[in-house]
Amino acid sequence: MNSPQRTPDWLLERIALGELSPEELAAARARLAREPDGPARLAALEADSRATLERLPPRQVVREIEARASSAAASASRKEARPPSRRLAPAWGLLVPALATVALFVLARPDDLADSGPDRLTTSGDSFETTRIKGLAPQLVVHRQAAAGSERLTDGAPAAAGDVVQLAYVAAGRTHGVILSVDGRGSVTLHAPDVGSHSVALAPSGTHMLPRAYELDDAPRFERFFFVTAEAPFDVEPVLAAARALAEGSDARSGELSLPEGLTQVSFTLEKQR
Amino acid sequence: MSIDVEAYYRRYGPQVLRRCRFLLRDEEKAVDAMHDVFVQLLRYRGALKDSAPSSLLHRIATTVCLNKLRGAKRRPEDREDELVLQIASAEDPESRTAARGVLDRLFGRVPASSQDIAVLHLVDGMTLEETAREVGMSVSGVRKRLRALSAVLQELELEAA
Repeated sequence: MNSPQRTPDWLLERIALGELSPEELAAARARLAREPDGPARLAALEADSRATLERLPPRQVVREIEARASSAAASASRKEARPPSRRLAPAWGLLVPALATVALFVLARPDDLADSGPDRLTTSGDSFETTRIKGLAPQLVVHRQAAAGSERLTDGAPAAAGDVVQLAYVAAGRTHGVILSVDGRGSVTLHAPDVGSHSVALAPSGTHMLPRAYELDDAPRFERFFFVTAEAPFDVEPVLAAARALAEGSDARSGELSLPEGLTQVSFTLEKQR
Repeated sequence: MSIDVEAYYRRYGPQVLRRCRFLLRDEEKAVDAMHDVFVQLLRYRGALKDSAPSSLLHRIATTVCLNKLRGAKRRPEDREDELVLQIASAEDPESRTAARGVLDRLFGRVPASSQDIAVLHLVDGMTLEETAREVGMSVSGVRKRLRALSAVLQELELEAA
């Protein structure tokens, strides 16, 4: 892709699109014409573009983009919830080895916390048991996906590399949160938000799945998920800094994050088995 | 700026998909990432300028894919793939990495990520000057950012001179 003798792919794309200044475009086209496989590469790229548009029709793709965008916007703006509906995942995803699975995004009913009813979650045909808010404590809910169905895990449950876990949260009235994990290798992974420097808006009641499942890698000893919450938006960076500090120390498996005032935390640990 | 998503996809979708495919080496993940790239474009359309969509989408796709690759334990397929994975997993001391807004970087509100710069220069084969223009920085700034990824650069014995 970066051979100095060859027009690089990024430039080939811009030649095909004509998105260069007239002088640059002329020079790039001349250079490409001199290359033995230059014209063939350009033709192959244009053919690939046509094939892509046939295989992934614009209307279908646009529907998916708009669904993801509206889900993200709904989450960010804490819109009033609608009845549960089967939707494709929003762009609120994993930053690490993730399965590009199509998960269902379940919207909460705007129940009053004092008597919030259970929300039933389903994913890929698997039923999740209901989770009620108890004592107004935020919590993480972790399921392991398997061919036979979905298994809810308990804190400290054994797990192995390759296990596919689905994270969900119960905000218990907190309005904003961050979900991250640390592992036995000292790595810190941010799960939500996907991008941006601020916490994500949470649905205050019910159990809500993250849009994608997460495949455990081969990090040794443990994988520990943290759900940090507050009743107002907060910056992600201090939380990440606290996670890095914890991950680098000797107490990563059981210690707490050293967080700014006003933030609460709950964690969920999976014990890795070789 | 108003965006006709369908028109953008028709024109730039294949390019974005190829970019994601190259970085992720997985068709299904690439298609998923391509959707996310356009979601980013849609969400931040207010900050868009209709100057160089191809360049902008190339960079959004790069950043989205690096985020997805961060921490990946994938077996690299070739030298370029190995380099991408190294960059994705490298510490980026001059940025907030994953916590940093992709679009903030793209629209110049904060400096570009060293990792984005490293991919453009080391993997895409852009010259220092082309990379600098791409990210809106000076050549010396780009050089400095490349040095920040010292672990990667040492491995590659790169001389960004």
